[in-house]
Amino acid sequence: MRISTSWGQQQAVNTMLDRQYSLSQTQLALGNGKAIQTPSDNPAAAARAVDTSSASAQNDQYTRNIQSATTRLSVEEQALSSAGDILDRIRSLTLEGMNGTQTDESRQSIATELRQTLKQLVALGNTRDGQGEYIFAGSRTTTQPFTIDGLTVNYGGDQSQRMVAAAAGLQVATGDSGSDVFMTIRGGNGTFVTSAGAANTGTAVVGSTSVTDASAWDGGNYTITFTSPTDYEIRDNAALPTDPPLATGTYTGQAGTVNFKGAQLNITGTPATGDTFAVGPSSSQDVFSTVAGIINAFEAPGGGAPMNNQINAQLQNLDQASTSFLNTRTKIGARMNTLDQQAEIGDDVKLQYKTTLSNLQDLDYASATSQFVQQQTALTAAQQAYVKMQNLTLFNYLK
Amino acid sequence: MADLLSTGISGLLASQVGLSTVGHNISNVNTAGYTRQITNFNARTPQFNGGYYVGQGADAVSVQRAYSQFLTQSVWSANSGQSRALQYAGFTAAANNAVSGSANLQTALDGFFGAVSDVANAPVDTASRQALLGKASSLVSTFRSLSSQFQQIDQQTNQQISTSVDSINSLAKSIADLNGQIARASIGGAAPNDLLDARDQAISQLSQIVGVNVSQGSDNMVTVSVGNGLPLVNGSDSTKIATANNPYDSSRLEIVGPTGSIISSQLGSGSLGATFDFRTNVLDPARNQLGRSAIALADAFNKQHAQGIDLNGDAGGNFFSIGDPAVFNNTGNQGNAQVTAKVTDVGKLSGSDYVMRFNGAGWSITTSAGVAVPSTGTGTAADPILVDGMAITVPSGTPQAGDSFQIQPTRNAASSISVAINDTNKIAASGPLAASKGTANTGKATLGNLTVTDPADPAFKTPVSIVFTSPTTYTLNGGPPQTYAAGDTITGNGWTLKLSGVPAANDTFSVKPAGSASGDNGNALALADVANKGVLDNGVTTVGKSYSQLIAQVGTAGAQANTALDAQQSILDQATSAQQSLSGVNMDEEAANLLRFQQSYAAAAQVINAANTIFDSLMSAVRG
Repeated sequence: MRISTSWGQQQAVNTMLDRQYSLSQTQLALGNGKAIQTPSDNPAAAARAVDTSSASAQNDQYTRNIQSATTRLSVEEQALSSAGDILDRIRSLTLEGMNGTQTDESRQSIATELRQTLKQLVALGNTRDGQGEYIFAGSRTTTQPFTIDGLTVNYGGDQSQRMVAAAAGLQVATGDSGSDVFMTIRGGNGTFVTSAGAANTGTAVVGSTSVTDASAWDGGNYTITFTSPTDYEIRDNAALPTDPPLATGTYTGQAGTVNFKGAQLNITGTPATGDTFAVGPSSSQDVFSTVAGIINAFEAPGGGAPMNNQINAQLQNLDQASTSFLNTRTKIGARMNTLDQQAEIGDDVKLQYKTTLSNLQDLDYASATSQFVQQQTALTAAQQAYVKMQNLTLFNYLK
Repeated sequence: MADLLSTGISGLLASQVGLSTVGHNISNVNTAGYTRQITNFNARTPQFNGGYYVGQGADAVSVQRAYSQFLTQSVWSANSGQSRALQYAGFTAAANNAVSGSANLQTALDGFFGAVSDVANAPVDTASRQALLGKASSLVSTFRSLSSQFQQIDQQTNQQISTSVDSINSLAKSIADLNGQIARASIGGAAPNDLLDARDQAISQLSQIVGVNVSQGSDNMVTVSVGNGLPLVNGSDSTKIATANNPYDSSRLEIVGPTGSIISSQLGSGSLGATFDFRTNVLDPARNQLGRSAIALADAFNKQHAQGIDLNGDAGGNFFSIGDPAVFNNTGNQGNAQVTAKVTDVGKLSGSDYVMRFNGAGWSITTSAGVAVPSTGTGTAADPILVDGMAITVPSGTPQAGDSFQIQPTRNAASSISVAINDTNKIAASGPLAASKGTANTGKATLGNLTVTDPADPAFKTPVSIVFTSPTTYTLNGGPPQTYAAGDTITGNGWTLKLSGVPAANDTFSVKPAGSASGDNGNALALADVANKGVLDNGVTTVGKSYSQLIAQVGTAGAQANTALDAQQSILDQATSAQQSLSGVNMDEEAANLLRFQQSYAAAAQVINAANTIFDSLMSAVRG
């Protein structure tokens, strides 16, 4: 076969150029560490790398969301923990004030301290997060939710709950509205409330109450009237005065229980004839009104059974408030748990994405280096062959 | 015997021709397109000398090219293929560089949706709202930058087309001129080898630009035709082709033949064919896909944004603004109808361009590639033509039969996207509604999720009070009683509210529009989730996925182009090897020929010397 001299040379040069090009591509890859220089190098991997890095960026965003949510929840948890401490203080002050040895003056000074703790409680309700937003204001985070006027505390927030996206399709609440935590606390024992008639003259005091049969309690309003210091009758407020009483019973001595419709009231002291106690379904009572009720009871002169009846009812409410705070803190704990777990999952996923991305995009240095050496050898060989070929011409011998 | 002298001289002369040819071959060893020449010798007609013939020496009868029409034509054809692949690979590499460069749309999208999430985490924080606007503006500038890179490539194709047309015309002219010179030089049947080489070289150059069909004519002239048989060179005449604006889109060039008809799509191979192929099959789809991503983002985000309430208490306005589909009139339209198109359903939007034609009675729509597309409607405002997620109307003017319009739904969307909001207060992060529970409720029912199902409901913003008349029945704004069981979902005007727990009689719940300065982040969460929402292709493809589709699309085109280039290059190398094997100059061979003719020349000279000696011998014999 004939070889055209110039084409032969051109081919030799082309070979060198090709080898130089592949060498320079390998060099480029070694330089920037990327396996894919342009999408055409590996279209499927390039597209997957885009998807993966996007998923990874989203995962990072979820991690940031979780961090911000955790911060917000910690602030709330801290505020509620302090609020719980304040309730404990209020409770011990209240019990101290109920002590029979107290006088109007000493009760007054306890009331003064209670007014102070009320303000502290309001201040906790107005806690702000790192961004200056009120955490207990629902969605009205820029307006101070709790305002105090005398002993009246008003809530200006709403009942919204802020959520955070902790993962695709997983939203976790990052707060609770002040309405849920401080305002709509169920009064009494959570099922029913009792109150002593304002005109009571006896010393009977309703102590602890409980529900003995939840299915029997129908949520109605009832009045317990003492027809004598030892007899009482229970009437349904909705019934006509001419109807017979719902139940009657006897009260013995200094202490006893009244049971009806699954409700149980522990009464101590001696009632007077005509004393009444109302029993009705629990409705919402805010913790501030509870404290205000205690303050009012202490500030009213006289003390005695009317005060004790009021205070006992409010102590029940205070317990409900404590429970509400605790329940909220439990919820916060559960949410933080969820967020922590999600953050851990996020870390694992991040690692996976990183590995996937690295497999897709990163250069395998070992193979690239050995490829570089191979290509270098190939280029050197081509160059040497070219130079050797140049001497092989018949003209060299025509002398 | 006196003839021995002339026989010797004939040998001398023949060897001289041989030497000249060898010298010519050696001199042209590096001339592009040169074909090795061979001297042919013939023995002279012998002299009859009674009973026998005596030879009279040799003549150089012709100098021929070592030439094969077949091999040369294969090189031309391989040339067209390789040049096409090279051009295609060059353009796709440019497109690949555009998507792999610093303008990374995915990073911009991630940054943007991250900023949306940050707003969800701190909805009333001005700094995070400002950051969102900043990320949004860098996102739209990434869209625009990518779009403008594609536009630049589009302009490069235009330049390529016009320089190619100039080259084709000038090469056609030289081929025609050479044809003329060859015809004149071919008188008497002698072949003007070097002119033929020059013409072959010109045809070879032409074949790089456009695939050619060459046929032999009389007097060694050739006819060169391109495309579907358009004769570019016929004898010593050449035909000019020209560029013309696309009848719809004047920003792009097409090629017209001498009759003025567009022949762009007929130029299959060569670098010019590659330019059109790239423009139609890579660049336009890529630009359309990018535009589709932009429309998908703008549409999905705007829709969700409109569901929210901004810090001023107003419903969210458009967050992004984006251009409507571009409609181009055909320059040949006889009527004065104007056509407008709007995107109505992003999920059905395709990456195609469309041509709509009026046949005198109604409109028909095809893709630009000519595939008929089913459509409904007549084109009036009340009954728009609905096709692939677009509503097309003819708001003014009357069309004539044969009028046509081109619609590019997505082509320039990526360059027209912008952020419509510059006031941080106008970011609608808050959900539109707020639910609340009556403070005097005695039951145990609590609020669950409030979900917006149809913000377009006319009574959507009417406050609704849910009153439980008993633990199992409730009324909405005093309407007819409805039954409830714990955990049921209450359906309102375009929203649903889930309650859990058992309510008591007279318990109330209410749903009303959210107010201003709300720290609610319901809509911001939904906006952040737009990133995960299938928007395109009937709700399957997310915005981000549509970008990775673009990467795959452009990358695959690039990979295919590179593979094709490798294949075409080796085809060309083989064709050239075969052709050069026959026609190329081999220096060793020429060296040998040089020696051969030198020797034959010297030997012929010796013949003359011998003749002389013989003559001398005769003379001395006569002298005695």
